[in-house]
Amino acid sequence: MPVALLNMTQYEEVKVRGYDEFCKAVSERTGKDIFAYFSGDKDAQGVSWCPDCVKAEPVVRGELAHLPEGSVFVYCQVGDRPYFIANDSLFPHNSWKDPNNEFKKVLKLSGVPTLLRYGTPQKLVEEECFKPELVRMMFTED
Amino acid sequence: MAAFCKGRYRFRKTVFGHILSRNLAGKYDYDLVVVGGGSGGLACSKEAAQLGKRVAVLDYVEPSPKGTKWGLGGTCVNVGCIPKKLMHQSALLGGAVKDAAKYGWSIPDKVSHDWTSMSSAVQNHVKSLNWGHRVQLQDKKVKYLNLKGRLMDEHTIVGTNRAGKETVLTAENIVIATGGRPKYPAHIPGAMEHGITSDDIFWMNKSPGKTLVVGASYVALECAGFLTGIGLDTTIMVRSIALRGFDQQMAGLVTAHMASHGTQFLWRCIPKKVEKLPSGALQVTWADTNSQCEEQATFDTVLWAVGRAPETRSLNLEGVGVAHNKDTGKIIVTEDEATSVEHIYAIGDIGEGRPELTPTAIKAGRLLARRLAGISSELMNYHNVPTTVFTPLEYGCVGLSEEEAERRHGKDGIEVYHAFYKPLEFTVAERDASQCYIKVVCKRDGDRRILGLHFTGPSAGEVVQGFALGFQCGATYSDLLATVGIHPTCAEELTKLHITKRSGLDATVTGC
Repeated sequence: MPVALLNMTQYEEVKVRGYDEFCKAVSERTGKDIFAYFSGDKDAQGVSWCPDCVKAEPVVRGELAHLPEGSVFVYCQVGDRPYFIANDSLFPHNSWKDPNNEFKKVLKLSGVPTLLRYGTPQKLVEEECFKPELVRMMFTED
Repeated sequence: MAAFCKGRYRFRKTVFGHILSRNLAGKYDYDLVVVGGGSGGLACSKEAAQLGKRVAVLDYVEPSPKGTKWGLGGTCVNVGCIPKKLMHQSALLGGAVKDAAKYGWSIPDKVSHDWTSMSSAVQNHVKSLNWGHRVQLQDKKVKYLNLKGRLMDEHTIVGTNRAGKETVLTAENIVIATGGRPKYPAHIPGAMEHGITSDDIFWMNKSPGKTLVVGASYVALECAGFLTGIGLDTTIMVRSIALRGFDQQMAGLVTAHMASHGTQFLWRCIPKKVEKLPSGALQVTWADTNSQCEEQATFDTVLWAVGRAPETRSLNLEGVGVAHNKDTGKIIVTEDEATSVEHIYAIGDIGEGRPELTPTAIKAGRLLARRLAGISSELMNYHNVPTTVFTPLEYGCVGLSEEEAERRHGKDGIEVYHAFYKPLEFTVAERDASQCYIKVVCKRDGDRRILGLHFTGPSAGEVVQGFALGFQCGATYSDLLATVGIHPTCAEELTKLHITKRSGLDATVTGC
């Protein structure tokens, strides 16, 4: 007898783009266990400029079923990468390479992809996000 | 001579036992199980896993009597070196801010320190280290189990979780690295109920306030030091001498500096009882052996720093026959870190006669893993280990104290070169450098090999680390003189030492 696969939504997924939207989403959910995944922006075809993000996303999504009950998964696009390398003032405000961008200055992100548990020192950066066991460890342990 | 405590099963080390374990090889759950996830345990397990072994590490923190507990990483990461050095830095920065005014900065008259800001920043860093260790273990394929380990036999451990559930693990080899915990003076009424230890101080969320530190170990001095430095009313109660085991002249300089910079010392005093007053403050009664009088005072916090005891109570050492020193409780180990039971080893603070230091535990753990994997026979070298006491005036050293050198070679067999110097940075800041001092103890004959090197001053750890390399290479007094100094530094004064204690001449450095 075939078994129906139920989509058990024990967590809430929120998609945001840019720092302001991220902050708003977090402030609206104080007291909740928030896991945030930061990725480079996707283009019209849905492909990110960040190759590591492209590689990590299916790994992270593959472990979402292990998120704790009642938690929040925020998928955040951090901005685009300019196609020229120039001085800071020439970078558009929401550019990832701009060293003044708030993700780097305030959230202390060192790169994308980053998966973190908001308000805790728990985070996985870049290649660490390729490893399902590490992602699962963050979702399932205290 | 150490008092041995032998168990019932020593006879198990028979030929039959060997054959049995060889047949069982490959039938164990793990090649190696490490009990204790601290400096030694983590280094050993990670190295073993890297060498292809199947490894599990058990880490479990029994909450302190005050209820404090922490994550993976052991004493150093959670309640030792790391938070200590950060809080010491916090105190040093307070001093630097005051100096800044003399260097041209406009600093408000009243500069205050907020304990909660400091402790939360320190705790966040510690938690990031706990997480870092978790990620590393997972990454290196070391199985991490939050269980309290107990030995069943030379190949079996029972791990118990917080809820009391038991798990049995078998291993080819077992390494015990459970470290130690602070002692409470249980015979003093009120000590346990009202006092705290180093296990608690770093995790306090509100300021300890007016504090009495009881003890004279480096733990006591370092804690009293940073508490004073951040502006708290701090008193330290010493039964006899400070920094027992260290060079006593240097210990005197360290404590003199602390005393002249705000820490109150109660020398030759012994606490009698601690009572809690209705206000919540703690009233401490003590015997002053100088005046033969009983004294009393109130404090917000009483911090016991009267020694550390090895964490062996629940290991079942006797049941398995692991020999340990009856007085200290520490496990007797060979130069191979082996215990009296085959397949059981012990590293780190738990080993009798071992330095209670992170770097030696880490190195010993790694070398042991390599020996167990059969790829090396190198033993840990416990000689020439440098160390630093992070008191307000730091004290770094490597090698023998002057007393020990005298004991071994006779007063006439050694030459002590020394100098009182003033760090350049202290001049403009108008800081007192009376206790900034360097001493190099050498053999008097032959090539005047350096037996011990001692330095009090800023960044003593950074200074002595480099000289420890020279020491390890058998540096002599001539090597020191042949080394060109870096100018202007405090460290260069070592290369210019020329006044001997024997000459009786003034050892104060003058000019360039």
